[in-house]
Amino acid sequence: MLVSIFRGKFAFVLKVISLLLISAILVMLAQQALASGEYAIAIFLGLATFALNFVYLTKTSIPLKFFLPGLLFLLAFVVGPVLYTLAMSGFTYQTGNTLSKEDAIVQIQKLGKVQDANGTIFDVGVGKTSANELGIIYFDSLTNEFAISTAKARTVEPASTIVKDDFEIPASSPNFRPLTDNEFSAVDAQISELRFFYNDEFYLGLEGFQAASLYKPSLRLDEATGEFTSLVDGDIYRDNGRGNFANEAGKVLEPGWRAPIWFENYTKLFTDERLRTPFIEVFLWTISFAALSVLTTFALGLLLAIALNKAIRGRRVYRSILILPYAMPSVMSILIWGGMFDTEFGAINNLFGTDIAWFQNAAFARTAVIVVNLWLGFPYFYLVASGALQAIPAELSEAAAIDGASPRQIFNKITLPLLLKILSPLLIASFAFNFNNFNLIYLLTGGGPIAQLDGEIAGATDILISYTYKIAFNEGNSNLGLASAISVLIFLLVASISLYGLKKSKVLEDFV
Amino acid sequence: MKKRYSAASILAVAALAFGVIAGAPAQAASKEIVIWADETRGPNLEKLMSQKSDWVRGYTFKIVTYSSFDALKAAFDNATDKSGPDIVMAANDWVATGAKGGKLAPLTLSAATKAQFTPGQLYDLTYKGKLYGLPVDINNVAMIYNSKLVKAAPSSFGDMVDLYLANKSTLKAGLCVAGGGMSWGALGVATAMGAYPYKITSAGAVDTADPMNAATVAANVSKYLLDANGKSNGFFPASDTGCKENFLAGKVPFAIIGNWEWKDYVAKGFKMNLSAVPGVTAGTYAPSFGSVSGALLTTYAAKHGVEAGAKTALFNIFGSRSGARAYQAIEGRPPASRDGAKFAPTAAQKGFAKVAGITSLPQIGAMLNGAGTSYWDALPSFWTAVLVDGKNPTTESTKLAAIFKANLAAGLKDL
Repeated sequence: MLVSIFRGKFAFVLKVISLLLISAILVMLAQQALASGEYAIAIFLGLATFALNFVYLTKTSIPLKFFLPGLLFLLAFVVGPVLYTLAMSGFTYQTGNTLSKEDAIVQIQKLGKVQDANGTIFDVGVGKTSANELGIIYFDSLTNEFAISTAKARTVEPASTIVKDDFEIPASSPNFRPLTDNEFSAVDAQISELRFFYNDEFYLGLEGFQAASLYKPSLRLDEATGEFTSLVDGDIYRDNGRGNFANEAGKVLEPGWRAPIWFENYTKLFTDERLRTPFIEVFLWTISFAALSVLTTFALGLLLAIALNKAIRGRRVYRSILILPYAMPSVMSILIWGGMFDTEFGAINNLFGTDIAWFQNAAFARTAVIVVNLWLGFPYFYLVASGALQAIPAELSEAAAIDGASPRQIFNKITLPLLLKILSPLLIASFAFNFNNFNLIYLLTGGGPIAQLDGEIAGATDILISYTYKIAFNEGNSNLGLASAISVLIFLLVASISLYGLKKSKVLEDFV
Repeated sequence: MKKRYSAASILAVAALAFGVIAGAPAQAASKEIVIWADETRGPNLEKLMSQKSDWVRGYTFKIVTYSSFDALKAAFDNATDKSGPDIVMAANDWVATGAKGGKLAPLTLSAATKAQFTPGQLYDLTYKGKLYGLPVDINNVAMIYNSKLVKAAPSSFGDMVDLYLANKSTLKAGLCVAGGGMSWGALGVATAMGAYPYKITSAGAVDTADPMNAATVAANVSKYLLDANGKSNGFFPASDTGCKENFLAGKVPFAIIGNWEWKDYVAKGFKMNLSAVPGVTAGTYAPSFGSVSGALLTTYAAKHGVEAGAKTALFNIFGSRSGARAYQAIEGRPPASRDGAKFAPTAAQKGFAKVAGITSLPQIGAMLNGAGTSYWDALPSFWTAVLVDGKNPTTESTKLAAIFKANLAAGLKDL
């Protein structure tokens, strides 16, 4: 009966309905992506839709029916981000350089205007002339006359013909009618860009629907050469190949754009002194932190596993208690530990009667990080070591004991080597995990302390991933391109470590 | 079998067609002005909009409220041409990065609108000579004292230190920072010592001279914050942890509190004995940040075809006396305007507005974010160095002065 549900017409209809719904959602997302200009995502979603329908509506490949969803998620959430990060690492992608070049040029052109020296601004009425042209009507306080300006011309209106609104602002005349409410919003895009004629030097630009300011252009774009010329000092601003228009003196026009700089973000890490020193320091601490974390958590976990491997009274209770830190969400544990290390109110200082500023001194902060990670990590190794200990045949230890080996010799020569053989893939995985243990650092110390007065930009407890986060999301000056380059290096390191671990453990051989 | 696949194919095509129809993005109401705000300003703007339907003729408003200010910032950082707001209710330090990144659009004020704000308030929202929004309300801190521990308001920094040292055994600290953190909130203590990130001239411009004399700061730190052995005398902790709790518990006589948290103190029975941090010379006061929050115009407004409407909205709501008052009657923060203290809704807000009026230093992101080390990082480091690590105040003051000088030079280029 149960089997029949998964076969026959019912199953087919169910499959088609499911595909229909999934396809509808994917095509909807693809269309949204297209509308947002995210063509790569749109193409991926389109191909995914096609692949899903093809695989599940044909018998081309049975294994693919099982693998395809996972494969698609892998592509979308692992391969895609890795490729994107890789691509971004080759760009100037930082505060001030986030737009496309086309958008940046539009913004520069919009900003390329200066007010007249007096900052003249007129109260205006917005409307249409008798020739149905968009225009503004205003009292020109510089010439003491009423006028109508359109994009093409400025005409003076007799004061007697002007009708003013409740605020004494010119609103209409026989040659000019105000816009209706609906017209206001209908002409917004058009009127915001309009330059209303004032004289040969200045134009009037709208500031909302009630005021217009006297401006003159300060930049001119030469479409043929793609260069901006300053109309103020004659400087020429050319594409500097790094995402900005710059003059000879290096002064740039803002905003800039994302520009390819290929491997510069990588080379900078090793050639720029300001980046190289903290990068190396952080790298060394990351290795030390990951190694110490693995060593301490494994040692404590193993110690407890050995202690509780023998039948002792209350063993189950002890085991349950030891697993508790693992059962508690790590975010909560880290925040609680953060409070416990507080200088003034923390339990640690109160307990020991000390006055240590744990998070304001590099050595103490690093100690705190290792201690907290030990608390979070030892239950895992206790669990796996307990299981591994039971997998080691007792005969080996018994035979060694009969041959006169001491308990220490048995542990050093038999138990530990066998355990390490079993657990080495997990130890390597744990090292890789701690290499990127962002949560712990971010929540406990924020990477600090940092000796900013000495010009340091990385904190004493910053690991590569938290350092990267700071570079990427720095409040004042984020540099996503550089952060992407570091992320790629981290990826290569962690991938190498993982690959080495897998190779050592021969897991891949078994799989193949 | 072929028939089955045909049927399936038809259904698949139907699915695609359905998807296309279902997926057609809803056409954004083109005449809608979208405002993004955080969890407190959003609901208050909704109330304001419901009071009057014609803030801008021919337009409606859509208020998008984010769960927190950080969530709002993250959303704005990731905004796209399609999703971005036309106006965003933001902090003043968004201006430099937003303008540099092409996300904010400049606007020009009439003389009448300009006259409603102080030069400093407009300065806060200016980047490279262009204004990117209108000031909405003031963010500042003030010093509160516990009248059970302090008989009268102190007239100088030294008065507070003397009071603390005389009662040290019963107190946790003399003055601590409860609101704003050890860089933003603690500026008053830094400037009392003479450590200015920059100074403002009487004309309202940034003073281009060196803002800080390291020797003076070192001497003041040694005199007021350290003991004879060069260690912290306990008057001013280098961390803000526990300050609020200690003040409320009567273990700290003076605390610097933020204007967003005064209700917590009133609820515990404290009177709003507010003032600026006193200077080392009797009768003088040390400047703290009096930054403004702004309603900023974005470049998305032009892309959505509502730029003129959005500018008009800014002028009609936040640039008009009636609009600003109507909003602050709901929002309840110290209003950003020349006469803000007069129409502040509560006594506490009047107090904060008064402090802001006397001793505000405009918060200029271009100078504070710095060329290398930012003010935000440098000042807490300075406190740690001299108050926790016991480092030489002259050496550390010299380092701090060098950072402030470099940041001033870099910031001046951006003004």
